[in-house]
Amino acid sequence: MLALVPSATLAGVDGLAVSVEAHVGSGLPAFTVVGLPDTSCREARDRIRAAFASSGFAFPDRRITVNLAPTGQRKAGAATDLAIAVGLLVASEALAPEAIAGVGFIGELGLDGTIHSVEGAVPLLDAVDADPVVVPLGNTIEAQVVGRQGIRSASTLRELVDALAHITPWPDLPAVPPVGDEPSCPDLADVRGQPMARFGLEIAAAGAHPLLFVGPPGSGKSMLASRLPGILPPLDEQAARRVTCIHSAAGVRLPPTGLVVRPPYRAPHHTSSRVSLIGGGTQTMRPGEASLAHRGVLFLDELGEFDAGTLDAFRQPLEDGAIRVARAHGSITLPAEFLLVAASNPCPCGWDGPQGRCRCSSHARARYLRRLSGPLLDRFDLRVTVGRPDTADLLGSDAGESSSSVRARVDAVRQLALERGFGLNGELGTDQLNLVAPLAPAAFRMLERALEAGRLTGRGLVRVRRVARTIADLRGMGTTIDEAVVAAALALRGEPFEFELAAA
Amino acid sequence: MTAVGSRAALATLVSLDGMGPARLRAVLVDRTPAEALAAVLGGDAPMAPPLGTVSPRCSRELLQRWRSEARGTDPHALLDAYAVAGYGVVMFGEAAYPARLQHDPDPPLLLSIDGDLGRLSDRTVAIVGTRRCSRAGYDTAYRLGSDLAAAGVTVVSGLAAGIDAAAHRGAIDAHGAAPLAVAGTGLDVPYPRANRTLWRDVASAGALISEAPLGARADRWRFPARNRIIAAMAEVVIVVESPARGGSMHTVDEADARSIDVLAVPGPVMARNSEGTNALLHEGRGVVRDATDVLLALGSTAPVAEPVASGLTGRSASEIAVLDAFEWEAVTADQLVLRTRLDVVEVCGILDRLVAAGEVVTRSGWYERTMRA
Repeated sequence: MLALVPSATLAGVDGLAVSVEAHVGSGLPAFTVVGLPDTSCREARDRIRAAFASSGFAFPDRRITVNLAPTGQRKAGAATDLAIAVGLLVASEALAPEAIAGVGFIGELGLDGTIHSVEGAVPLLDAVDADPVVVPLGNTIEAQVVGRQGIRSASTLRELVDALAHITPWPDLPAVPPVGDEPSCPDLADVRGQPMARFGLEIAAAGAHPLLFVGPPGSGKSMLASRLPGILPPLDEQAARRVTCIHSAAGVRLPPTGLVVRPPYRAPHHTSSRVSLIGGGTQTMRPGEASLAHRGVLFLDELGEFDAGTLDAFRQPLEDGAIRVARAHGSITLPAEFLLVAASNPCPCGWDGPQGRCRCSSHARARYLRRLSGPLLDRFDLRVTVGRPDTADLLGSDAGESSSSVRARVDAVRQLALERGFGLNGELGTDQLNLVAPLAPAAFRMLERALEAGRLTGRGLVRVRRVARTIADLRGMGTTIDEAVVAAALALRGEPFEFELAAA
Repeated sequence: MTAVGSRAALATLVSLDGMGPARLRAVLVDRTPAEALAAVLGGDAPMAPPLGTVSPRCSRELLQRWRSEARGTDPHALLDAYAVAGYGVVMFGEAAYPARLQHDPDPPLLLSIDGDLGRLSDRTVAIVGTRRCSRAGYDTAYRLGSDLAAAGVTVVSGLAAGIDAAAHRGAIDAHGAAPLAVAGTGLDVPYPRANRTLWRDVASAGALISEAPLGARADRWRFPARNRIIAAMAEVVIVVESPARGGSMHTVDEADARSIDVLAVPGPVMARNSEGTNALLHEGRGVVRDATDVLLALGSTAPVAEPVASGLTGRSASEIAVLDAFEWEAVTADQLVLRTRLDVVEVCGILDRLVAAGEVVTRSGWYERTMRA
């Protein structure tokens, strides 16, 4: 007899609807799974056999063929376990076909018949072509949050079959915790002094400008960067669903409410492999750190220590907001629209500067700078030098402004950009800049001087103008960009990035 | 082969690979230059005892190399090359040889000269310091160089980056006494390359000398050798900025060996670039605050003309506040904002004006006040 059960499998950050076809027929006892299952998917055979025994179901000693349609695409992971098991029960006439009509199944089976939660429940659920859908107990909160009506759950195979056969009622779903129990993110009020770095963060948040901090060890570069998500606006509903989907697919722990509403903050270490940063690799084409930072902040500490090839791989997402991963068994597009923040020492020892505390050889410094420089450095709209704060200066300063009051300004600037209709300020092209950020004559001459003096490169020009637009917005200035704003934009861009004192 | 003159023989000897002052002295023990060259050509030239420090094995190889090098060299053509390139050559003992080196314990035996030694003043002061100097150090060296040259003192230095370059530049800009530079490389090999223009300017305003042969690259050992000539050519050596070790401290040792006075410019106690100079002051050396201090050390009482104040006229209160906030240190914009309590954007605007006016310089995010104002 034949049974058809809807389920789904993961491909990148998206689910793929799978129809599990189970056939139990005459012939020598055998159990084969076809339709390009990967190893963990194929191992379902052994898990199901044991789960049947543990749950008190007779395993059909006949010829069993399970097909995962569509057959052309690879199926990875154990999320189809439950659908295969239910299909077998129907095909072996242990369960009536009517009991599962229109029901989809997602879940992994344990040998004792327990239904285990799966990675990527959100995208899987989106893909399943059925209603209601049965999901593992551990996935019910995320399943409810992403807005699907018919969610059922059971803790074991036995419980599931009893509920399907109307012997017992469906168990209650766990309640979704109320929104607002979010773990709070570090506040800018903890940062004392460092007005330039704080201003840099505010600009980066308001206009989505890539930001680089340069400074000695202990100057608070990472501390500053970790406070950026706190001044970004929360994700809108669509973005929250998308980000939740990505995090779910990568198996990253979701917040207790099931929905990611704060912009994510990812800070991969510089020894991370290229695949873990960009994505791909496994059969499921798992999303990398760049995708996990989608609509949030990707922080690369010790930028100069990252492998040159790895940094190069970030260029595509920076331009397109997405990553195309092509592998032998298919290609996939992963969303990766992140705000890049990086930190670097000015030289290998970190103490380069006019005080002459640097102890690096000139050769080591030159090599370090070569790794840092080039096309990547050019992509940062903001390159802020962070000094180690001076005790005397700190004692005289007021406590820092809190994240919430900075966020109010950031929100206002983003709203302004929305009204202009050209996207955020960090995405403006030259033509749009001429329209929304015309330069005052004095500001124009200042940029001209900077270009002539070699302080500014042609590519740096458009970036400085974007930053100037954001600064003027933050300060509530009009459309025309004046001199002081351009000066601030130039200072925050750190042009030029030279490290040697000219001889004369 | 015709008889080889002493100058041509010396020129050939110094052109040999690895021939520094010590080896040259060893080869010339009890020999005239022509005899020494003949010995080197013979290959079996027994090295005189002072070279005993060099291991015999090494020295045998070296001798072989020297012999083949010397055989492939035409001494007279070598000497002509200097003239063709427009350089003068003067040998120890000749009338044109600098008087200060005449009685030196370790004089350079052959000097090549670009420019004119006759232009130099009788009063000479060496200004030395670190290559990686702070802006304040650069400006101090520049000011000293310019004020001393204006007061008729020849400024001697080594044409390196940093303090050396600043001192030379100041001396040239003052249009006063002719400057003297002692190069570590051959006169036709400007080093560091960034100082090419400065080389030409020093040579045309004063003189540029070197004991290295034409084409000599910047080998490490040539710089300590150069430092001894700088010290020997000066009546007083001034160290502007120097870490506890380095070329400037070597120049100080050479000056001490010749009983030449060493003065130092004080600096912040915490600054690495002032560790060396402050240590010198702690030893009891004279303090240099300005050119007058140096002139007093030279026994001169000629007053130094006060520089004419230039700079921005009609500064705003916030510009003055920003300039004051520097406290003559290298600072980040952060520190200026915190100290002045002005708005970030306003401080950036003021800094840009100050940079344009030359009162402030900026380098990789740091700002330093110049002495222009």
